[in-house]
Amino acid sequence: MEERLYDLIFICRPDTPEAEVDKLVSLLDHSAVEKGGKVEKVEKWGLRRMAYRVMKYGEGQYVLMQLRGIQGEMIKELERRLKVADPVIKYLTIRLDEEMKRQKKLVQRRERRAARRPRKSAPAAPAVGEQTSAAS
Amino acid sequence: MSEGTPRTPSASPGPPREGGPSGPRRGKRQYFRKKKVCRFCVEKVDYIDYKKSDVLQSFVQERGKILPRRMTGTCSRHQRWLTVAIKRARNIALLPFAAKM
Repeated sequence: MEERLYDLIFICRPDTPEAEVDKLVSLLDHSAVEKGGKVEKVEKWGLRRMAYRVMKYGEGQYVLMQLRGIQGEMIKELERRLKVADPVIKYLTIRLDEEMKRQKKLVQRRERRAARRPRKSAPAAPAVGEQTSAAS
Repeated sequence: MSEGTPRTPSASPGPPREGGPSGPRRGKRQYFRKKKVCRFCVEKVDYIDYKKSDVLQSFVQERGKILPRRMTGTCSRHQRWLTVAIKRARNIALLPFAAKM
């Protein structure tokens, strides 16, 4: 099966110590690798205001992980772990590879079109002025 | 005499249709609006990222509703992507479902 790309975002309680977040990330990393996936990048956005209150918290520590995997089992396992983990108040997984494929296709198409027809200077339109004068 | 003619410009006693294309037409309000162009098309965006909440923010109302295409001028394709992105952002609390005023 082809490889899939996922975005995994989770939000921790605002009072979680940094070390605990790191521990959680490495735990998720570990279980992803176990299931044959790999983590592409980890981004910690730090403390951020949330748009609405979640579990009575107005803000939270956002962590974004982008990962590749070949089986859905991996996501199942990761989501289970996130559900169990104490500091996590919200998480979201999004599959991205199909949108990336679409994006690539669009870029390719644009490039092909640009190559086929190099941009000419805009065609002048003097005919409009003539027509209006003739009509009156 | 001038009772039943509200809002008639006094300078046009003749037939109203003869004013030419730019002449004042009675009864209908006229709109002179700049043609709106899709912002994403101009910037050649191929993927609308749900994580860029500051971009998405400009396409929702104060209360958190998604602005219609006729307000923002977004093309149909990008509006479709935009709604998906906004809905994703809502799910992870980057955008509100319904903001308090």
